Amino acid sequence: MTRRSLRDNPKRELWLAWGATVFFYNLYAVVFFLFTHIQPPGQPWYSPDQASTWFTEHHHGLGIGLALIFVFGGLSATSIALITYSIRRMSVSRAFSYSYLIIYSVSAVPGFLFICVALTAGIMRPERSPQLQHWLYQLGFLSFSGTMGVFLIGSLIWMCAILLDGNRVFPKWFGYLNLCNALTEVVVSPSWIFKTGVFPWNGLIAWWIDVVIFGIYTGVFITLLRSMIIREDFGTGPLPAVPAWRFWQSPVETAP
Amino acid sequence: MTVAEVSTPPCRTRQVPGQPDMWFFVLFESLIFTSYFCVYLYYRAQHEAAFLAAQSQLTLWLGVVETIVLLTSSWSIARCVEQSRNGRYDVARRDAFLTAGFGVIFLILKVVEWVRQIHLGNTFSSGDFFQYYFFLTAIHLVHVLIGFVVVGVAIHQLSSPRRRSQELVETCATYWHTVDFLWVLIFALLYVVR
Amino acid sequence: MRRLNRRLLAVWAVLSAITVIYIWIDHSADHHGTAHASSAVTVIALLLAAVKVRIIMREFMEVRNAPILLCRLTDAWIAGMSAAMIGFYLAGRAVAT
Repeated sequence: MTRRSLRDNPKRELWLAWGATVFFYNLYAVVFFLFTHIQPPGQPWYSPDQASTWFTEHHHGLGIGLALIFVFGGLSATSIALITYSIRRMSVSRAFSYSYLIIYSVSAVPGFLFICVALTAGIMRPERSPQLQHWLYQLGFLSFSGTMGVFLIGSLIWMCAILLDGNRVFPKWFGYLNLCNALTEVVVSPSWIFKTGVFPWNGLIAWWIDVVIFGIYTGVFITLLRSMIIREDFGTGPLPAVPAWRFWQSPVETAP
Repeated sequence: MTVAEVSTPPCRTRQVPGQPDMWFFVLFESLIFTSYFCVYLYYRAQHEAAFLAAQSQLTLWLGVVETIVLLTSSWSIARCVEQSRNGRYDVARRDAFLTAGFGVIFLILKVVEWVRQIHLGNTFSSGDFFQYYFFLTAIHLVHVLIGFVVVGVAIHQLSSPRRRSQELVETCATYWHTVDFLWVLIFALLYVVR
Repeated sequence: MRRLNRRLLAVWAVLSAITVIYIWIDHSADHHGTAHASSAVTVIALLLAAVKVRIIMREFMEVRNAPILLCRLTDAWIAGMSAAMIGFYLAGRAVAT
């Protein structure tokens, strides 16, 4: 039994992309939840003075964290590329992969760029009037929580591709999980209307429950992408099944 | 004795109805809805008077009719699965269309009810109870709309001898029954719970 | 085949009857036309709903003829859902007082 080095491994680009995806989502979680405290979101009912104070209190965390996102945010493209690759590997029309790629090419904007720009602008000019700070605060959080159309349609495209696929790239239950995720994008939309209760951008239903589902969904698809890369045979037919123990192998090809 | 005449088959012929994957969806989605129901009940218990006053504006008999309509649609798709299993595809197709028809009736009744409530001054943002009412009924209605697509898949399967996958028909039925039992819970929570 | 059809019809009749019982519960819950909060009514309503869900799963969704694992899993799910809903309701009442 010989072991190929990573340099000769035909799957090295796939593993590189997968590694970048894992890095990006971990960075995203650490920055948004721990550094900047953007998640859980600030209170929607803040007055202009309170919003101004929020910017002051989070000044350093926001500055460092969002700078990291501006530098590394482009890595989100690897996740989109891998998913597009997975749809291309399916037996369905290439229209699905192209549609997914095009729609997700703008996903970074509502996904994190808008809120990063708005909140960075908020901390970098503290001398602005509280009304303007308040506007940036609301713009940031509303654009983050309330603009889920891209992810809704994208999830549905991926779901349809998976359910129609004959190459067994992903299990069918993951197709249905995409539907669950797509529905959470709908559930968050009342955040435009409410400032208190369970439906504002930090509400129990519109944020907390949604984030749990999204977290599960993200963890699952990252794991399934790994499984896909392990099973990839660079053909056009059904992907081979792989014994469970191989799942824990390191990303180095083992020739028989 | 044919398999169809045996009401409970022996262990070795026990099969998961439809794709097991759809059952994953059923259980996961039920969990999500349960979380919404728990939030609703928790908040309701803390604001009983306000919730009761708002709830009294709902029309119970309309809710009962809607529930029975959806139960009937579940009955017709269960029959559809059975007919398909016995090779009577035309009858199964008719039952699937019947299911969609009952779904449409439910949709119309729901919209009529919403319009009525809005005319009474109750909207999504007019109070806590109606927040939950419109949210739960709307998210359920989205599931019903998806259900029309799903029933359409079943009809498509039953329409041609080249298709007719029993597993797919059962999978579609499983989804539709989920829509039904979620409504059973929502009806109890919004119309009856005190 | 006819036995199964009759069974499905019977199941539908039982489910519809339970639904209609809710009207009686609703009327008896209100004292002289005014609505009152009641844990008893809530718990009964939720338990009846759970019973209906179980009947739908076992009969319409054919869990009755499914592998034992699915039978146990769906029963556990219904029990868990009911317990969670009743639990949160009672917890909410406890916190409110």
